Amino acid sequence: MTQVLIDGLFLGCVYALIALGYSMVYGIIKLLNFAHGDIFMFGAMIAFTMLTAVPGLQSAGIVAVFGVLILSMFLTGGTGVLIEAVAYKPLRSAPRLSLLITAVGMSFVLEYGVKQFWGSKSITWPQWAQMGAGSIPIFDGTITISRLVLMAVSIALMVGLGFYINGTRQGRAMRAIALDQRASTLMGVDVNRTISLVFFIGSALAGAAGVMFGMYYGAIGFMMGFLLGLKAFTAAVIGGIGNMYGAMLGGLTLGLIERTTVYFCNGDDSWKDVVSFGLLILFLTLRPTGILGDRVVERM
Amino acid sequence: MASATIAPALKQPAWTNDRNVLRVLAIVFVVFVYVLPLIDDSTKTMDFMTKAMIYVFLGMGLNVVVGYAGLLDLGYIAFYAIGAYTCGILTQAFHIPQWAAVPGVVVACIIAGIIIGGPTLRLRSDYLAIVTLGFGEIIRVTARNLTIDAPDGSPMVRGPSGMANIEQWSFGGWSFTDGLNIGGMFIREQVIFYYFVTTIALVLGVFGISRLANGRLGRAWKAVRDDEDAAEAMGINTYTTKITAYIIGAVWAGLAGQLSATQQLSIAPTSFEFLFSALILMAVVIGGMGSTPGVVLGAMFVSLVPNLLRNYEWAENRYLYFGILLVVVMLFRPKGFWPATDILPWSSEKIHKWLTARKAAKAGKDLIATEEDTYE
Amino acid sequence: MTNSWTKKALALCAAMAAATLSLTACGGSSDTLKIGMAIPTSGENAMYGEYMIKGAQLAVDEINAAGGLLGKQLEIKTSDSACEAGQATSAANDLVTEEIVVSMGGYCSGATLPTIDIFSKANIPMIIPAANSNSLVETPRDNVFLVNGVGSDQAKMGYDWTQKNGYKSLLVIDDKTDYSVGVSTYYQQFAKEAGATIDSISLNPKEKDFSGQVAEILKHDSFYFTGYAEAAGLLIKQSLEAGYSGGILVADGSVDVLTGSTVGQPKASEVIYGTFSVTPDMIDDGGAFISTYKAKFGNEEPGPYVIQTYDSVKLWAQAVTEAGSVEMDAVDAVLHKIEYDGLTGPISFNADGSRKKSPFVIVKVSEDNTFKLFDDMAS
Repeated sequence: MTQVLIDGLFLGCVYALIALGYSMVYGIIKLLNFAHGDIFMFGAMIAFTMLTAVPGLQSAGIVAVFGVLILSMFLTGGTGVLIEAVAYKPLRSAPRLSLLITAVGMSFVLEYGVKQFWGSKSITWPQWAQMGAGSIPIFDGTITISRLVLMAVSIALMVGLGFYINGTRQGRAMRAIALDQRASTLMGVDVNRTISLVFFIGSALAGAAGVMFGMYYGAIGFMMGFLLGLKAFTAAVIGGIGNMYGAMLGGLTLGLIERTTVYFCNGDDSWKDVVSFGLLILFLTLRPTGILGDRVVERM
Repeated sequence: MASATIAPALKQPAWTNDRNVLRVLAIVFVVFVYVLPLIDDSTKTMDFMTKAMIYVFLGMGLNVVVGYAGLLDLGYIAFYAIGAYTCGILTQAFHIPQWAAVPGVVVACIIAGIIIGGPTLRLRSDYLAIVTLGFGEIIRVTARNLTIDAPDGSPMVRGPSGMANIEQWSFGGWSFTDGLNIGGMFIREQVIFYYFVTTIALVLGVFGISRLANGRLGRAWKAVRDDEDAAEAMGINTYTTKITAYIIGAVWAGLAGQLSATQQLSIAPTSFEFLFSALILMAVVIGGMGSTPGVVLGAMFVSLVPNLLRNYEWAENRYLYFGILLVVVMLFRPKGFWPATDILPWSSEKIHKWLTARKAAKAGKDLIATEEDTYE
Repeated sequence: MTNSWTKKALALCAAMAAATLSLTACGGSSDTLKIGMAIPTSGENAMYGEYMIKGAQLAVDEINAAGGLLGKQLEIKTSDSACEAGQATSAANDLVTEEIVVSMGGYCSGATLPTIDIFSKANIPMIIPAANSNSLVETPRDNVFLVNGVGSDQAKMGYDWTQKNGYKSLLVIDDKTDYSVGVSTYYQQFAKEAGATIDSISLNPKEKDFSGQVAEILKHDSFYFTGYAEAAGLLIKQSLEAGYSGGILVADGSVDVLTGSTVGQPKASEVIYGTFSVTPDMIDDGGAFISTYKAKFGNEEPGPYVIQTYDSVKLWAQAVTEAGSVEMDAVDAVLHKIEYDGLTGPISFNADGSRKKSPFVIVKVSEDNTFKLFDDMAS
């Protein structure tokens, strides 16, 4: 049973990282960036290209991997900003429906654009850049070192984000815009720049999740963002959308619930997604503010 | 002195009246669709056009949900799945003819629409979108896991393999598979089916939905879509209005599912992927939300283009182009190619004016030229 | 509406009719025989479709060089099935309109099944090189011939292997696709008939994290995965990382370099076995075939299902020669009795169209991640 907990928490960290970006963007401009999961996938893809394009990188070992991670985060963040500028900003005053549809379109563009350039086949992450083996026993389960490392990195990123939002000026600006966009403008907040910043950070986090995903699981593909994006959204809702801690809590909760469901089905995966999405619907209808919810869900 | 060559005619030619042009186009379209098999009844053309017509039917249904009532449904394919499976199960388990399964399909979709729409239609549009997507996935996964045997013990619903040997439509002993002999001409099953689907799509889908849209219900939908609070203030029960739209959309999708199941004579869960919900949405959005001719064109476009181009190299990336097209349309022509508010995507009157102005300018130039000659 | 309107409307109709006619431009000349292939050329399975085309092309070129078939040259027409029922039926209808005389396609069983009726009604025999679900031969049609061994034969081979290795607690994992569930069902059947303990679970191939399934694997001493390569690699990798040391067997859908490369060498070549139909490197004339293939297709190794498709074309050509025509009934009659010596072994068919004498063998991953013959289980 401990193994179930360990597995679930690790899965939860992955969900949480992606859910954070979703939640941040939603909190600020009330847009569900449907393409967010695909940004996660994109981060993994460009990291893969960087790892394999530069010959001799292997010799730099972990430094190279770390460098690629950082670079990938920047590039993915930039992509997020670009998408916002091109597709979402012009529609800021348009009806909600248009924005959502554009996001769906953007999701397709990312997915099939990546398929165009990276192919449709599953891509194997370079062996040398993958996490090593080696595990530690905990109670009656084991946890691999790689998992520990990744969980630590994820938590560090989340904590860092927390400091940023609460401690810095830009962070305050973000919270202000989330509360009242017009008043923020009156108070001198540069809304456009702040929104771009939000997209940058959210996308960078997703990109980081993508790289770590590739490093850990060893295989990536052009459609991997779709399901994960949906799950991440579910996590955000469960925890409380628009709320940063909610995204983290929701991610961990969902990971645990999913893993437990499979455990009770004796390893069979047939119904896991039904349970996850069922939870989503349950929360949205009965407790739309999520576990931690402090935001009121307005009607359209 | 210049003669009255430049004075415009007071009566405009009939073709500048947008309504007339629309009427003509509609008639041409209907005639074309019915006459097509006489020109080309190859299996390929019949197959492509039948699928296009089913798409039109689906598009009109989603048009009610998205276009008229403004609800973004990303899981529309779920009702299509429910319709297809219901008709398959009813006909195979109880040995009833397809037409007898129609009420079953309708009821199943109404129930599904109430179950899915009931709690979720109160949500914001963003949430509604994801929830409907979630439902679509739930239905797909459930269909994939579903294994049901017929009362006589033979496999009926076979999990990931879906259902096979679905019965063709039959009326009083005569089934489409028997073909039809009219005046010495033998019409084979595929062609009969094409006419059947086309008629249903046009009558029920196009005509039926636009009648609804122009009636009281349609006006209520538009009011709710444009400004929900104002609509409430005017006494419209927004919740009932929305759920009616949702249920109508569900029933239409279910019937389309039954049509598809009888076209392929089989149905499999691989056809219920999110991709197809998205494609139908693209048909509605790119064609023109809330616009009947727009959606008809959009649906035909989304269905025919991949099929016609299927063997070209770059058809491989059709979804990339569709995605780009969707974003571009939303940015530059958000109402779609054929907006609901316009009778035609262009203005015939403006074209007429432009042509007249050109004629006048040319006439003016000629006049000056001749006058210059006389003053030589 | 005046008379002039009606005239204009009819004029427009005529124009559109002309346009439609041009779209459905008449097919090629009638002095070629067209071989139709409804296979995935887009999507995740595109590369398998392409291997099948190449296999067919090789055979076609050889036949054409030797004078063609019944005095006519052969031509291949492909149409994308995208491994989805709706697209596959459109592809089949497309090919029928192109006037093919035989269908040589079929990779995904789920997508091939609905096309059987279409081809059958159009009097076109189907020789299926890759798809091998039992549902394909369970229809009332008798124009279907599977060149790849059926799922039940493959499952039998898998079960025999576990017996040979003395595994006691068995697990079979499918990925919820038509083909995969088929093999799994038969595997369970064989196991239960023999009184062995067997568990069966499914996984979702879209996922990457299989820790739930791994936990279950650890409770058994062998598992058989009947899905495709992408999930196979990840599943095996995660099992090994969790300390699994039992038997690992995969079905032919996972016999691909991707499985081995995901798991990583040297581990992959130590433990991964598979049930598969033969590949060129496993047969006596293999070397010659590989050289011919490489010469023609730019130095790449022949991939899965190349020789099955090659055999299918040659087999059909022989049947047509014997029957003296391409008519479905004549060709079918010959095929039901035929004994053809193909690269994949001697080919003859059962009454339902499945292949006699299971051509499956046990293969094992080697250092370059390809699967090589390990045991033909003949003894």
